[in-house]
Amino acid sequence: MFNSKKVLASFLALFILLAGCSAKKETSKEVEIDVATEERTLTDAMGHEVTIPANPERVIASYLEDNLVALGITPVAQWTVNNGASIQAYLQEELKDIPTIPYDLPFEVVTSFAPDLLIMSGAEAVEGSTYEQYSKIAPTYVLEVENNSDWRGKLLKVGEVFDKTEEAEKVLAAYDEKAKETKTFIQESIGEESAAAIWLVNNNFFIVGDNVSSGAVLYEDLGLTMPNVVKEISSTATGNWSSISLEKLAELDADHLFLINSDKGNGAEMLKDPVWKDIPAVKNGNIYEFEAETAWLYSGPIANSQIIDDVIESLTK
Amino acid sequence: MVASSELSAPKRSRPIRAIIVLFGGMLALLLAIGLSISFGAADIQLATVWTAVFSFNPDVTAHQIIREIRLPRVLGAAMVGACFAVAGALMQGMTRNPLADSGLLGINAGAAFMLAICFALWPSLPYLYVILFSFLGAGLGAGIVYGVGSMSRGGLTPMRLVLAGAAVSALLGALSEGVALYFRIGQDLAFWYAGGVSGTKWIHLQVMSPWLLAAMIGAVILSRSITLLSLGEEVSIGLGQRTKTIKVVGMVIVLILAGAAVSVVGAVGFVGLVVPHLTRFLVGHDYRWIIPCSIVLGSLLVVLADLGARMINPPYETPIGALIALIGVPFFLYLARKGGKEI
Amino acid sequence: MKLSMTQAQRKVRTKNLWVLTSLVILIVIVFMISMNTGYIKLSPLEVVRTLFGLGTAQQALVLFDFRLPRIVLSILVGMGLAVSGCVLQGVTRNALADPGILGINAGAGLVVMLFISFFPSTTDTPVFMLPILAFTGAGATAAIIYVLSYKRHEGISPIRLLLTGIAVAAGISSATIILTLRLSPENYQFVATWLAGSIWGSNWKFVLSLLPWLIVLLLFVYLKANVLNVLNLGDLTAIGLGASIEKERRILLAAAVGLAGASVSVSGGIGFVGLVGPHLARQLVGARHQVLIPTAALTGALLVLVADTIGRWILQPSEIPAGIVVAIIGAPYFLYLLSRLQD
Repeated sequence: MFNSKKVLASFLALFILLAGCSAKKETSKEVEIDVATEERTLTDAMGHEVTIPANPERVIASYLEDNLVALGITPVAQWTVNNGASIQAYLQEELKDIPTIPYDLPFEVVTSFAPDLLIMSGAEAVEGSTYEQYSKIAPTYVLEVENNSDWRGKLLKVGEVFDKTEEAEKVLAAYDEKAKETKTFIQESIGEESAAAIWLVNNNFFIVGDNVSSGAVLYEDLGLTMPNVVKEISSTATGNWSSISLEKLAELDADHLFLINSDKGNGAEMLKDPVWKDIPAVKNGNIYEFEAETAWLYSGPIANSQIIDDVIESLTK
Repeated sequence: MVASSELSAPKRSRPIRAIIVLFGGMLALLLAIGLSISFGAADIQLATVWTAVFSFNPDVTAHQIIREIRLPRVLGAAMVGACFAVAGALMQGMTRNPLADSGLLGINAGAAFMLAICFALWPSLPYLYVILFSFLGAGLGAGIVYGVGSMSRGGLTPMRLVLAGAAVSALLGALSEGVALYFRIGQDLAFWYAGGVSGTKWIHLQVMSPWLLAAMIGAVILSRSITLLSLGEEVSIGLGQRTKTIKVVGMVIVLILAGAAVSVVGAVGFVGLVVPHLTRFLVGHDYRWIIPCSIVLGSLLVVLADLGARMINPPYETPIGALIALIGVPFFLYLARKGGKEI
Repeated sequence: MKLSMTQAQRKVRTKNLWVLTSLVILIVIVFMISMNTGYIKLSPLEVVRTLFGLGTAQQALVLFDFRLPRIVLSILVGMGLAVSGCVLQGVTRNALADPGILGINAGAGLVVMLFISFFPSTTDTPVFMLPILAFTGAGATAAIIYVLSYKRHEGISPIRLLLTGIAVAAGISSATIILTLRLSPENYQFVATWLAGSIWGSNWKFVLSLLPWLIVLLLFVYLKANVLNVLNLGDLTAIGLGASIEKERRILLAAAVGLAGASVSVSGGIGFVGLVGPHLARQLVGARHQVLIPTAALTGALLVLVADTIGRWILQPSEIPAGIVVAIIGAPYFLYLLSRLQD
């Protein structure tokens, strides 16, 4: 009896050894038979060799939660600013009971969750040589795509980390299908009319760029016509949302305006300004207001899909 | 003889030069205001500016922009400049301190600190009350600086006051930052701290105007006494002036002016330093001329700085506090090098 | 007679020893408190156990990799800044000299910041470059201040030096604000925290990059203690005693600038430590630099350590930068010293 046990054990040992070797030698792109049951080594955006555990269960991927949820992964902690005052509310159906973690990921707070995998959304998250310290908490993968607004690339990368490339591709395909249908619908309902998304926060207006965040959805995926002001501002934009003065807004020739209002709590004085009321889309009532908690300020498969829903709803009203 | 009359010349007042400066300055100010109104994100012709002001048509977007955005902004800049400049002139005259400036002496930092607290505790307080907090803060800053200064063994020397002002500014600045961090109003405060008039609305100007008008009239009424005070306390008393009263009233005016200006633009320094010196250089030592000319030249400086702030890195705005400091610092260094003796 | 002299000397020596020992004990106490301060709750017993290698892996990680490097850096930075201030005060015979007030920190900050914004953290080289860069910036600023406040026949008067420093610091920070507005939001955030004085580079790499500079410069300054004593007696006495003062003075100034620059490169804009540390030390042990330098170093270390601990504790899990806490403690102390200073 004890012999067979020994044989089993040595088989197991051999198996683990082989598995380890194969994971080290081959890239993750290979077609696996039993998905993500072994440790794998990936090279991240900064050139670190990261050992991804076999079945990561306690993942922290701050500001990448959208992708995780889309792939059916639940993180142990979710992104917040202002200590829980601001979270990605549009994901809360899936992340309702998940505790929050400050966006700047303090070492000790990260440690307290005992994560087994950290995914950082960009090199600036590990500024000042902090990578070393994070990687002592758990394997740390720095995810960066060439173009920060490339949410598809991000999703595929996250898929790669979790060995779920196929799922990621499926999610993308479903999204593209939905976008295509909506595009046809929009062309039938408003034709060549233009639209823009603006965000009001702390009495300042911001306007979305042409190929980022909700701008990418509006113009690239749904084929809405881009107003000249958006074109002009996008050409010099440094962030997803660019500050725009009220007087520049007055030139905005968009037929439809999607307004994300973060100032609802403090009166939104700007919306009482005569110049604002004079903007064509506002005058004609073609303005659709959303709360700051909606998906509009974010980007990712789920956010973008919700934005599409919002657009359909607004334009059929 | 020629030499001696040259030497005594700056001590005398120069009414003709003063009138030239006053009207030349006003002309330049009007021009600068016109330029500032026509310059912005939307291209607007000077002619449109004219019609927007004198035959306003609410259906024209350009008119709306001028009415609601650019006009209050440029008027705000002018008012703020006048406030800081007159506050500086009064302080320099009363204390015979060539380095006096509401920014350097901790008054602006005090006002900014109280405003930070005000924003933190009552974020939606109407501006009508906000400005009162600003006055209170200005008094706080001035109180600490003069308190420390007068407790000093060496007395209230100009340089000592500036050092005390710098330390009080550092202290109140740190406290403001602490308040901002605690209440998470950081982003909001940061730009405002460095200064900018972009958010000026009619309501600000409406609330500010009566205070300003009263303070300016007070300053003009006081100006003769200030001139005498600037010759020295003994001279002034000898000529029958009630120096104590003049100083108290003068200080109240300074606090109102600085407090009002800070509540609109933030803790911008050096305007009150540079403008009065320039004015004195141009029009002599009579405060009856210095104060009106400071109003005009101070407005001109801040209007131009605001215009510059928008032109440096469009469409973004550079804080005008930083811009003015770049002019003010070399000037301050020059004054400090002279040893702060001459006024 | 001779016996009583040595007795008095012995008394002083015992007293100094007591002072140094108490400071070390205080630092150890605050060290322990600081080790206990953080998001993850550890009992003092657990901390001690972990320090002796008996804790869990997680506890060891938290203590050795997160808290300890930061504490060590606070201590080093405090030492560097305090000794820098001590030397500056000795060399310029200016009781209020401090690398922060003089604008040396601001100069170092500008260079470091420019470098960091142009070369983001993709490689590891910047960490080791930081002290060198900071030294360049600090040195250039110190040279500018020196030249601007030097006057032929008069040399450098303490107050003019301070005024020049304050003005140069104001100019540099304005330039910094204008330059940083062009940065991306992430970098801007970083620069803002840096300027507020946060022990930001809290890992062993920064300790390693700072340590060699500090050891060499602190030792060097300590060996020059006698020169500092002589310089402190005044130029005439110093020349009489045969010290080639100008040369020694420049070397020591360079050392002070180096200490400030290296410290600031990891701590950001922390002011007032170089002022408060040496002054407290002087009150405790007198003006003999052989004792004063180590005492000032310990006092400075204690100050920054306490400030950083308070800053981490008050608003958990957010932090208040240590520089803000130090300013709130240090600025009133500066005012107190100022009020006692005689011209």
